[in-house]
Amino acid sequence: MIEVEALTKRYGSTTAVDGLTFTARPGTVTGFLGPNGAGKSTTMRVVVGLERATSGTARVDGRRYADLPAPLHAVGVMLDARSVHPGRTAYKHLLAMAQTHGIGRARVQEVIAQTGLEPAAHRRAGTFSLGMGQRLGIAGALLGDPATLVLDEPVNGLDPDGVLWVRRLVRELAAEGRTVLLSSHLMHELALCADRVVIIGRGRLLADATVQDVVDRSERAGTVRVRTTDPEPLTRELLATGAQVTPQDGGVLQVRGATVDEVGTAARRCGATVLELGTESGSLEEAYLQLTGDAVEYRTADTREGAR
Amino acid sequence: MTTLTSGSRAAARTPRGAPARPGVRFARVLVAEWTKLTSVPSNPWLALGTVVAAAGTAYGLGLFVRPDDGRSGSWVVVSGFVLAQLGFLVLGAVVGTSEHTTGTARTTFTAVPRRLPVLGAQAVVTAVAAGVTAAVALGASYLATTGPRAGDAPALDLAVPGTTRALVGFVVVAVAVSLLGLGLGALLRRPADALVTGVLLVFLLDLTLSGNPGPVTDTVRALLPSAGTRLLEDDAAVAVLDAATRGPELGAWGGAAVLGAWVVVVLGAAAYRLVRHDVR
Repeated sequence: MIEVEALTKRYGSTTAVDGLTFTARPGTVTGFLGPNGAGKSTTMRVVVGLERATSGTARVDGRRYADLPAPLHAVGVMLDARSVHPGRTAYKHLLAMAQTHGIGRARVQEVIAQTGLEPAAHRRAGTFSLGMGQRLGIAGALLGDPATLVLDEPVNGLDPDGVLWVRRLVRELAAEGRTVLLSSHLMHELALCADRVVIIGRGRLLADATVQDVVDRSERAGTVRVRTTDPEPLTRELLATGAQVTPQDGGVLQVRGATVDEVGTAARRCGATVLELGTESGSLEEAYLQLTGDAVEYRTADTREGAR
Repeated sequence: MTTLTSGSRAAARTPRGAPARPGVRFARVLVAEWTKLTSVPSNPWLALGTVVAAAGTAYGLGLFVRPDDGRSGSWVVVSGFVLAQLGFLVLGAVVGTSEHTTGTARTTFTAVPRRLPVLGAQAVVTAVAAGVTAAVALGASYLATTGPRAGDAPALDLAVPGTTRALVGFVVVAVAVSLLGLGLGALLRRPADALVTGVLLVFLLDLTLSGNPGPVTDTVRALLPSAGTRLLEDDAAVAVLDAATRGPELGAWGGAAVLGAWVVVVLGAAAYRLVRHDVR
């Protein structure tokens, strides 16, 4: 369980994280979204105690990370695939990590097998591809068999097999009752494996909801799409009922403010032939772009005000 | 509801691979740091290079020593230190900076978030590695300057006052220089910064100032870490140094104390930065 409360992190005059509050719960995959420089990585680094919060708190299982007696058993962390000495082998890297907690060699071999690193275990990490480095990072996060996982861009650089593997892995980990917080730029990927999403922009919270709730907020969500041979009469008919209609190519109309039933009835009234009719569901990506786009505009106005 | 139940189960269970008494202990961090030091191939090579540099320099300089130079046998054996100390400085600096230059710091300090045990363990493993390397280098230097390879240089004679101290001093000062390198590395976090500062402190500043003797420069020289090499001199050579200086007369152990103070202050500053500042 990760609880972030009113977290603020400033570097000089730059505010990276601004009063952020959210909770990542056990048994749930929480997706962490935001544009580059939104403060995702900074937040994760504060959570695992690498950086000190300017104000506010970040707790894991109710404690400050630095106060955990056995951090590796509580939280598995992968912040950056390049957190390994390039001259050290994958096995020795994991072994040194394990030794800080008295974890045995058998467990090191176990996570190497689990992440498919056996053929490369005794090769220097400097020779690894991005995907291999990513697997090594995940192996390190799993080492202590922790109840909470913090993964920054875990699918970055993985091939399709690897992406599928990570998706299954995080679903399994959550199904076992663990807390998983993961960030990704791949919206489609997050929509598939996250239960909740926390979206931030310019260090501020924009949304903290289930994936479905966020998707429903997108512009396209809840609109009706109808394809017809007679777009003009149908448009007139629909406008008369008070709906908004956006004509598109190929006789397609995007209708807002009317249900599928109402659009169908309207088509019969004006004698238009309906070829296709359905409700649009929107996408996480659209919702995300709308939310973060608003944040940037809001923020620009805010800055101007401050300059006055 | 199922997720909640399994959630509490996940928190309560014993993690796979956990030892009987789980958690971070200093002894465990020490073992981990030893693994880290020995698992980077460049470190053993650096140690070997340091031994070769010490013995090679001692052999080379020994060839030019004549019996009437007033040099003792211990001077010849430890003379390789002038070059070898760079190896010890680099060893410490590499241990101190590689965490930060390679990003290993993210792994290290998430595993040991209290951080100070890591610096403590690094100090211990660096000191042990430097001590062993220095002892081997001393032995190699002795072998390289004895018997048929001695030339006209005087033989090592433990009866000469201060000889034992000079031999022990070789190891002690090597350890101190490596710890100074570690402190500078952990404090400055960049290899170039740490090495340039280290070379200035243990070597170059003293050499530059020696060209212009006077009360001020001699006092400054006495306060630099390079004063520690007095421990490598026999009694007669220390007496000559103290007679020539226009600054404080340190003796052999006074010089060592100055070096020791530098090590403590620099490691203290490194510890402060490590605990108070963010890790990138």
